[in-house]
Amino acid sequence: MANMPRMQTLPDLLKSLWQRIGSMSLAIILLVVLSIASVIGTVLLQNQDQADYLQQFGPLWYWVFRSLGLFDMYHTWWFMSMLGFLMVSLSSCLWRNVPKMLKEMRTRKATVAEKSLKRFQYLHDWRLPAEMDIAHVQQAFRKRLRGWEFRETEQGGVQYLRADKGRWNKWGYILVHSAILVILVGGWMGSEYGFRGNMAVPEGQSESEISFLQGTETGHLKMPFEVRCNSFSIDFFPTGAPKEFRSNLTIIDNGKEVLTSDIIVNEPLYYKGVRIYQASFGDGGSDITFKLFHMDGSEKISFAKVQVYKTWKDENTGMSIKVTDFKPYNVENMANPGEPKDFQDLGPAVEYELRGPGLKPVKIKAFMNPFIDAKGVNQGSFIMVSLTGDKQDYKPVALGLDLTNPVEWKLFHAFMRQLAVVGKQSKQANLAAFKKAMAEVFGEGKRPEGFQAMAMRTLQAINMLSQLPWPLLPIPDDFDQHYYTGLQLAMDPGMNVVWVGSAMLVIGLCIMFYMPHRKLWLIVRPVSGGLHISLAGMANRNHLVFNQAFNDLFTQLDKDFAQGKS
Amino acid sequence: MTATTAETGFATMLNQGRWAWLRFTAYLGAMAGIAAMAMYGSGGYEENAFLYQILSMKGLLWGGTGALVGGGLAVVASTLKPTLLDTKMARHTVPWLDGFVLMVILASIWALFEPSQSQISYEDQSNLFAGRVIMAMNVIFIFSAVSYIAYLFAPESFIGRIATWSAYAGIYLGGSALLLRWHESYLFDMEIGHAPVSNLYEVFILLFCITAAVYLALEKRYQAKAMGAFVLTLVSAGVFFGIWLDSVGQGDIKPLVPALQSYWMKIHVPMNFVGYGSFAVACGAGMAYLVRYRLEASGGKSKMLAIFPSLEQLDQLAYKAVAIGFPAFTLATILGAAWAAEAWGGYWSWDPKETWALIVWLIYGAYLHARVSHGWHGKALAWWAVAGFLVTVFCFLGVNMYLSGLHSYGRLT
Ligand code: HEM
Repeated sequence: MANMPRMQTLPDLLKSLWQRIGSMSLAIILLVVLSIASVIGTVLLQNQDQADYLQQFGPLWYWVFRSLGLFDMYHTWWFMSMLGFLMVSLSSCLWRNVPKMLKEMRTRKATVAEKSLKRFQYLHDWRLPAEMDIAHVQQAFRKRLRGWEFRETEQGGVQYLRADKGRWNKWGYILVHSAILVILVGGWMGSEYGFRGNMAVPEGQSESEISFLQGTETGHLKMPFEVRCNSFSIDFFPTGAPKEFRSNLTIIDNGKEVLTSDIIVNEPLYYKGVRIYQASFGDGGSDITFKLFHMDGSEKISFAKVQVYKTWKDENTGMSIKVTDFKPYNVENMANPGEPKDFQDLGPAVEYELRGPGLKPVKIKAFMNPFIDAKGVNQGSFIMVSLTGDKQDYKPVALGLDLTNPVEWKLFHAFMRQLAVVGKQSKQANLAAFKKAMAEVFGEGKRPEGFQAMAMRTLQAINMLSQLPWPLLPIPDDFDQHYYTGLQLAMDPGMNVVWVGSAMLVIGLCIMFYMPHRKLWLIVRPVSGGLHISLAGMANRNHLVFNQAFNDLFTQLDKDFAQGKS
Repeated sequence: MTATTAETGFATMLNQGRWAWLRFTAYLGAMAGIAAMAMYGSGGYEENAFLYQILSMKGLLWGGTGALVGGGLAVVASTLKPTLLDTKMARHTVPWLDGFVLMVILASIWALFEPSQSQISYEDQSNLFAGRVIMAMNVIFIFSAVSYIAYLFAPESFIGRIATWSAYAGIYLGGSALLLRWHESYLFDMEIGHAPVSNLYEVFILLFCITAAVYLALEKRYQAKAMGAFVLTLVSAGVFFGIWLDSVGQGDIKPLVPALQSYWMKIHVPMNFVGYGSFAVACGAGMAYLVRYRLEASGGKSKMLAIFPSLEQLDQLAYKAVAIGFPAFTLATILGAAWAAEAWGGYWSWDPKETWALIVWLIYGAYLHARVSHGWHGKALAWWAVAGFLVTVFCFLGVNMYLSGLHSYGRLT
């Protein structure tokens, strides 16, 4: 084949490869490939629980994705190599172009060869009479171009006057492209010598270790100081939405309290090069008191004190309550599907797992207060039960009784006993039984306030409570809330490098786009019977404007020259 | 002087030379003064009172001092270096900055039509006046789009003028409505008040205004009226989306989640939309290019060709728009990174919104390189400008709707 490359020596090959790597077409391909690759990580949620992935994709795809590192793809070797390749490519194109550009910026040749003049995109000519003063012509040119730099030469009887504006434009290119390098280096420094992780500090306690995700595992790192959370608080808007999360922290270094300060979102604390951010919050082991309603008909109520994240065990029944969460506010949409949303705070609730011999374990969210509906009617206490242990499977269970009112628990049992006497035969018998129960609890002929609703609740409870399989029904009675504050701690020695790179990038872009290099030549050539004057222009960017400006200049000079003639 | 810049004597004088330069620097000084107040003033920056901090005596003092200092420095600087008086930046931006002052005045007039305090409720915001101004903006923008399209088919200069003026009117209505909304957010409760760039509905209005403004700036300078049909059609499509957002209750003023309570939001978000708006204009130029290309290919007898800018010009216009958008978008992304560094503990988290911003940035970066390198020609680049904008739309809409991440502000609530 005619144009088969001849055998190259290794240095030659490397050299041509180096140049190829710095080529513009490769730059375009690199940028496009990088952007397409970046899409993957936004579609596939990153750094989730491995079990979730397995469930979502099935074993085959899970392993394929996992071995490609797609669950943490921005830190995989192949993504890193692409960034590395971008750096190599940038270095190569800078290496090749910078010396050329520097040289070009320094030397401004005023002369233009006759031949190359013809190829100028912007070119106009005049024929002026010979007696026209050359100095005047040039002066007019200079006067029209305020703020431009001039250079004048004569060669072979031809007068060249060159004007430059934005001569430093190529610095824009240099700044922008080295800025990308600087930013990538800064990013690398951060990932190599910095850290970022979370710590949860319960109110009143301190912590000195952060944890973070490392691929599919959790890593830990000890900080050179301890952080104590003195308090955590939430402020609310009048609408009920959270307004501010605030932690009061004390830094303890070497056993000494060195610094106490509040942090809120957007206002971190800075100590020993580490920034401490308010990131999240949760329950930090609140004290919960349960009322345990004994469901064996004994009418007994006992109490259990337990902390969130702890388990309480009942000796007699073998039941255990493992408390998993506590929330003092539970804003829920109470509207039926299709109706406008109606948010309502259902008050404090405790989530726990209930286990017992011979019972299927369930997850329960028990609300402290009864449910008051939109009409203000007390619908009794309620819980949410999830048979699978998954929060999505919570089903509300209305217990009927308002368990915060001990009288109702009494009434319920009295009613049960009376029913057992009369038997559940007819409506009348039921009514009679209920009346007797009322008399037993409240005294003959007395009716408490809201008795109607109470009667409804008791009837409902008869159906409901007997269905529950648990010997004990734990309902929260009291709480003493402690939060934990979720802090993020980060140190990034590369951050300032990144800011420097960013500044270079923006400044470079502005130079590149808004200070184009424009060159103009006024060439005066004596010809037989007069002067031949050429106005030539060149711009490396933004031709729309230059075209207009060039034509404007031509018209103006035309006028100036005409005045000079008279 | 070309016809485009020919204006009547007095206006010309005001918008050129020393007057433009003086005003420009005074505006810059006023902005610096306000920023200084936020940073160093007694009481400092308060999220839920910033508007009134600006409008109070204190704001007047800081801003006014800034303006005086700016103007003074300008006088000194221009005596030392007279060419500064010709600064193009000053000439081109001053009319827009004047326009902004007018917009503030307009918003103050709207504020007079506000219902009385007792009739304002957070639950039902439909009686607030900004909603009406926004509706007027919607109508005007659609009208403008229709006029621009009519202009393509009947290139009468008066239709063209109507189209242009209605686009200006749309910007004024939209901008003043946003300013009014800022004020309105305080009417419910001082604590709720915040700048009107906090949810999709508000930034959409901002986007319309910026897109139209970038387009009009190009139209004014480069006689590119035929492009308006494309740009304003894009804006109108957005308007319908905005109407839909409002109809599903997304148009209400809501309190700010803690993550957004930062002055960074006021800088980061509008800057981002300068980028998005410019990319929309580039997309309009790309579409105009493709249409003209079609018309030329099919014989080139269409009357429309007479008013279309040439292919070369359209190509340059798309480039020009990207040249405005790319640095703005770069700066916005960097500001976002700075904010993230302050709020989330790291300047870059590969969160979907961030990553998509990077994708958009890379795509326009590639576009710019493709222009300089020789292999690519007008038509391919026109397609690229259109496709780039689709990616942009995904970045600011799709990500919010389909992908979750830090930008959904779901973490702390
Ligand atoms: C993320 C990375 C990059 C960014 C943001 C970037 C940005 C830019 C910009 C904005 C321009 C100006 C285009 C115009 O004139 O409109 C440019 C030009 C250029 N870029 Fe890049 N670039 C990047 C990567 C690269 C790479 C990897 C190479 C080489 C392999 C490269 C080589 C060039 C060259 C040769 C020019 C033309 C300079 C001139 O003569 O004006 N760039 N770049």
